[in-house]
Amino acid sequence: MRPFPFENYLTEGFFDEMFGKGHPHKPLKHYQEVYNRLGRLESGEILEKRSQADSSFLEHGVTFTVYGDEEGTEKIFPFDLIPRIIPHSEWTVIDQGLRQRMLALNLFLHDIYQDAKILSDGIIPTEVIQSSSNFRKEMVGFDIPKDIFIQVCGSDLIRDDSGTYFVLEDNARCPSGASYLLENREIMKKTFPQTFQGMSVRSVEEYPELLLKTLENLSPRQSQKPVCVVLTPGVYNSAYFEHTFLARQMGIEIVEGRDLIAIDEFVYMRTTHGLVQVDVIYRRVDDDFLDPLFFNKDSMLGVPGLMNAYLRGNVALANGIGTGVADDKVTYAYVPEMIKYYLDQEPILSNVPTFLCWREKDRKYVLENLKSLVIKPANESGGYGMMVGSSSSEKERQEFKDRISSNPRDYIAQPIISLSRHPTFCEDGIEGRHVDLRPFILYGKDIEIVPGGLTRVALKKNSLIVNSSQGGGSKDTWVLKN
Amino acid sequence: MRLYIHHKTHYRYPSPVKDSFNELRLHPLSNQWQKCESCFVNVFPTSRLHKYLDLNGNLVHHFEIPQDHSKLIVESRSTISTHKRVDFESFPYGVSMKSLREMEGKADCRPYLQSSSYVEINPEAWRMAVDVQGESKDVFQTAYLIMEFIYERFEYSKATTSVHSHANEILSTRKGVCQDFAHAALALCRCLGIPARYVSGYFYDHTRNQSMRGSEASHAWIEVLVNGHGWFGLDPTNNRVVDETYVILGTGRDYKDVAPITGTYYGRLPESMEITVTVKPLQ
Repeated sequence: MRPFPFENYLTEGFFDEMFGKGHPHKPLKHYQEVYNRLGRLESGEILEKRSQADSSFLEHGVTFTVYGDEEGTEKIFPFDLIPRIIPHSEWTVIDQGLRQRMLALNLFLHDIYQDAKILSDGIIPTEVIQSSSNFRKEMVGFDIPKDIFIQVCGSDLIRDDSGTYFVLEDNARCPSGASYLLENREIMKKTFPQTFQGMSVRSVEEYPELLLKTLENLSPRQSQKPVCVVLTPGVYNSAYFEHTFLARQMGIEIVEGRDLIAIDEFVYMRTTHGLVQVDVIYRRVDDDFLDPLFFNKDSMLGVPGLMNAYLRGNVALANGIGTGVADDKVTYAYVPEMIKYYLDQEPILSNVPTFLCWREKDRKYVLENLKSLVIKPANESGGYGMMVGSSSSEKERQEFKDRISSNPRDYIAQPIISLSRHPTFCEDGIEGRHVDLRPFILYGKDIEIVPGGLTRVALKKNSLIVNSSQGGGSKDTWVLKN
Repeated sequence: MRLYIHHKTHYRYPSPVKDSFNELRLHPLSNQWQKCESCFVNVFPTSRLHKYLDLNGNLVHHFEIPQDHSKLIVESRSTISTHKRVDFESFPYGVSMKSLREMEGKADCRPYLQSSSYVEINPEAWRMAVDVQGESKDVFQTAYLIMEFIYERFEYSKATTSVHSHANEILSTRKGVCQDFAHAALALCRCLGIPARYVSGYFYDHTRNQSMRGSEASHAWIEVLVNGHGWFGLDPTNNRVVDETYVILGTGRDYKDVAPITGTYYGRLPESMEITVTVKPLQ
């Protein structure tokens, strides 16, 4: 007889998405059906399904690019066939918590670029904002279209060893991953059609439509159908696949900086039929590279004159300029205060406790406890430049010690959270691997969240880093209807 | 059912105004008929928000904007689950009008039996109420007749009244919107000794052709106290007994107690005020 796939499965003291804190032969109720299905898999069936999924990804061209890798830069995003399942009641809380957070972050940006009351009321120290390299002075006093700075936010959620959800970080600049969320669903539907249908999973397919509506909402020309475009840095960008995918799904043009031209404070797109005025740019290019006249002079990716058109209100950008100050990891520590200040509420989703190295007391603690902390740069994303204390070498720790001492504002530290794990197909059968969750929050006429998000999984055993650039993969995420 | 409500009010001023102080009653109640799962209230220009519970048990947010500003936006986003409120097969008939005497002295009824800012008990209103009551000796039946009377005999008209129109005016012109219809119904009920209170809130228009009136802004209706059965909601604008498609924001003696937005500022009147209310059912 064929061995039962969970025969040797171990939770090893972690919170397991499928088994909770319980026994690995007793799945949580919402996983029962998937658990049973996995138990019924014929030998060889799983290999067949995996290769079926892999070839689908290749066919669809679902790839990403790794920087600083010698062997070819473009890779298939590894996909795991066991879906992550979130019950209705759990999702309701996450959904509310994310809406609350999205509002607070946006109100915060609005405030600091207008009257900065939260600073003058002493809730957030002024130096936090002034020292943030992502604070854009150009935006002070600017009347932002529809009062919305962040149209698309990707907030990363994790669960600790008791299963409690925490927000690990907010990505308020150009969060990636929505295309994988959509592709994963597509492929799961093909691979396990019956299980999928039998479980009443909430759909995610409306994301491109919601995104387009979010963009159109910003248009300065409401009288006519807005012209929206996706601005990509180009084929060498790690998320180029996503840019083309979303543009295609929304039915709008994808452009590079050189395809756009600013004339008399309006932005036009070069087409074979001549110039076409552009209303909204979904820009997947960082602030720094958008306009060489304003920001990085050497940028070849931007459009000279774009900022003038933007500040005139003749073209809208999503996300707005200067949102980086909200997802700065030092600012992150103050999000609970923002929620209290602007909404007079307690946060629904908690932050991970955070030590700010520029506070002397915190820094002292961090330097003394490097081994039990995760050290992160305040302004990086994608998991670059961080250090997990428990798995670091003496040399690395010394390096970080020096860096923190010479540049305390640029570093934060958090306790190492033993992230929840999820059963995942590995070389020796099904094993637990650490996961997180990145839901995508859209803010157009109102706030919209497609149920679930991108579940990222650290495929390397014991690794806590789930970023695709660091060897992570992904799973489909099923939010149940009830 | 579960409902999501987005309520946005946008004031534009012809020239900058300042020293604005405001109170908001936009946070739905939780009671035996509805649970407020979440409610986020925010304003632009961004301000620090504070809250307190008023004497009617409604949650009030307040804020101030001392600096110059030429627009004010107030938004609330609520998720509410509502429960079945009434059994349409068995309304609470059988409580006689005579029994209303017992309620006169009770402290929790008194405010809802007297005149208030927008509602006056006077001989004129009493005469109309007695005519509507006709032969009815039953409390709920009488209240229902009053609702029906207003729905059938009053003209729903947006242009004829203002936010400050008094019930007396509505009873004589027989024109108005939901707020006016509610004030008129309160006057008629109170004249006959039926405890009646003003309710502000929203409803989800589930009719196929969206034929209900008053869904474009926040809505208003009344509740009457039926001795031994509790409060029942009646919507004279739509001639409906209030059920789980309605969401209560707050209750009080009349509009003045529950006005969604009130405040003062220094400057000219707004050149426009744009209100959008979206109510949608959730899974």
